[in-house]
Amino acid sequence: MGEHKLIMGKDIYFWNFIILMFFTLFEVGAVFFEEYPGTDIRVSMYVVWGILIVVGIIKGFGIGAFFMHLWDDPKIYLRVALFPTLFVLLMLWGIGLSNPEGVNGLPGWCTPDWGEQYATER
Amino acid sequence: MSGGGHSDVKNAIWMRALLMAGIILGLGIASFVGLGVVVAGMKETTWDEEAEHYHDAEKDWEDAVALGTITSDNESAELYIAKEAAHHHEIEAHLSYLTYRVAGLTLLFVSITFTAFLAISGVLNSAQPDEEHHDDHHGHEEHHGSASPIVFAFGCMLFLIGFPDFADGLHSLMLGSGSGAISDISVGMIGLTIITIGIANWWREDLPFKGYGEQIATSDPFNGQHIRKAGIWVFLMSEVMVFATFFSSYLRMRTEWCTKWAFDEGTCREIRNDQGVIQVFDTHIAHPDYALTASDYLRPGGAVGTGDFWTLLPGAVNTFALIISSYTIVLALKIAKSHDYKVPSGFMGKIMPDKKSAIRNYLIVTLALGTMFIVLKLVEWSHLIAEGFTVASQEGSIFYVATGAHGVHVFAGLLIMLYMIFKADTVEWDEDNAQGIEYFGLYWHFVDLAWVVIFPAFYLY
Repeated sequence: MGEHKLIMGKDIYFWNFIILMFFTLFEVGAVFFEEYPGTDIRVSMYVVWGILIVVGIIKGFGIGAFFMHLWDDPKIYLRVALFPTLFVLLMLWGIGLSNPEGVNGLPGWCTPDWGEQYATER
Repeated sequence: MSGGGHSDVKNAIWMRALLMAGIILGLGIASFVGLGVVVAGMKETTWDEEAEHYHDAEKDWEDAVALGTITSDNESAELYIAKEAAHHHEIEAHLSYLTYRVAGLTLLFVSITFTAFLAISGVLNSAQPDEEHHDDHHGHEEHHGSASPIVFAFGCMLFLIGFPDFADGLHSLMLGSGSGAISDISVGMIGLTIITIGIANWWREDLPFKGYGEQIATSDPFNGQHIRKAGIWVFLMSEVMVFATFFSSYLRMRTEWCTKWAFDEGTCREIRNDQGVIQVFDTHIAHPDYALTASDYLRPGGAVGTGDFWTLLPGAVNTFALIISSYTIVLALKIAKSHDYKVPSGFMGKIMPDKKSAIRNYLIVTLALGTMFIVLKLVEWSHLIAEGFTVASQEGSIFYVATGAHGVHVFAGLLIMLYMIFKADTVEWDEDNAQGIEYFGLYWHFVDLAWVVIFPAFYLY
């Protein structure tokens, strides 16, 4: 249990909580800015997406590893937690393939090489 | 089953459940009267006045257009500006009314549900004579299994089968509109009743559990682990797949929608019409297939233009509320597992003078934060629906299904939390039975984790 590891007199749960609060603030703040502070450069969709994904991963790690004790618990629980990842990756691949962009908008390495044409157009 | 019929919890303790139920119902009714009737009544009066102002301003503008004083497309005309300002104030007053009305109604509904669970559990279990109870929970040969989850699952199945009609019927009853009748809610209500009985019995079985007889797995892959813990992890992974289904549906549709965000990035400015001619659109609104997502209403810079700090605030507050509640339940678990409770100094020491009150109060804070989540969620929904973002569209459907499923998980967690508080206040949690808090905590953290994905995807993107 994480309460035995003290950092500056506080246990790991406290610091995990602080980090989660900070990143949530960062996440919400990122969406409030349409332009980079102090400039007139627009924040692009991809930058916001990147921030949301990175912050999501950090928060997910914090909750899973420390609040849900996966860091200290026997590794069988970590393996159970990671098991659905396989299906989630398959799901993401399926989203790419079933999207109209999947034919000619995605890089070749993640498509079955449809020759950039729908079958009905060949 | 050791938990089953061998409760050593006396009737006096169960009667305490009735007392707690009464307090919660009283608080719910007071909240409803205060927020949902008194304040909402004042807000409704303001709304009526603003609606009248808007009606007058609109009439003035229409008269001026009819007389030819101004043209209907002149957006800089004084009367047009006054009309639009009056419209804006009318919308603001409407949303303000909805905030208090929905908050009051939600608190009343939540308190009635909490009261029902506490009262039914109290009545069902205190109705049994004390002499039937056996104090044999120290029998190590007994295990802590229960059939109640099966009853509970059956009730859930019935409720879900009857849910479409239940929703229609409830809508008609609450709003006096729609085509539903009171008979529509029958299957759903039977399901809810069975759920309640299942949970009440589950409470009775688990309440006297002091940590003896925890079943240990004797084969791989969980060899040596608590079966309940393995079970909750497998359950949580099935929940991951449920939310992955919602999320994949959303992503699949979202990548195809021509939202303002996608339009600004230049991904859907050109479309090929039926004649094969490529048309280029200058504005998002002019696009024939433009889509409005919830974030277009909620976040600053959204396509609707109504999003600002205040519209995003409920979702943001809810995010913080869930994270804080995750921390408070961790604190409750930490104290339950500790052998030597140190009374904190100052105010915290006064409200948590001993281990029992510390655990109970941290759980009460968790319950309060979860209840606030539900209230803010429904207030936010009511605003979105009032602004025209309904379940009738693809964008609305996936938003309400995904966030609604998450809300149901939070609400289910609150009912379990209520039991945890009741046990903390009566039988007490300690280092021997603290795994109950740990296993429920895993569920609660999962609900937090799901929100970590839902919030950016549906509110910020």
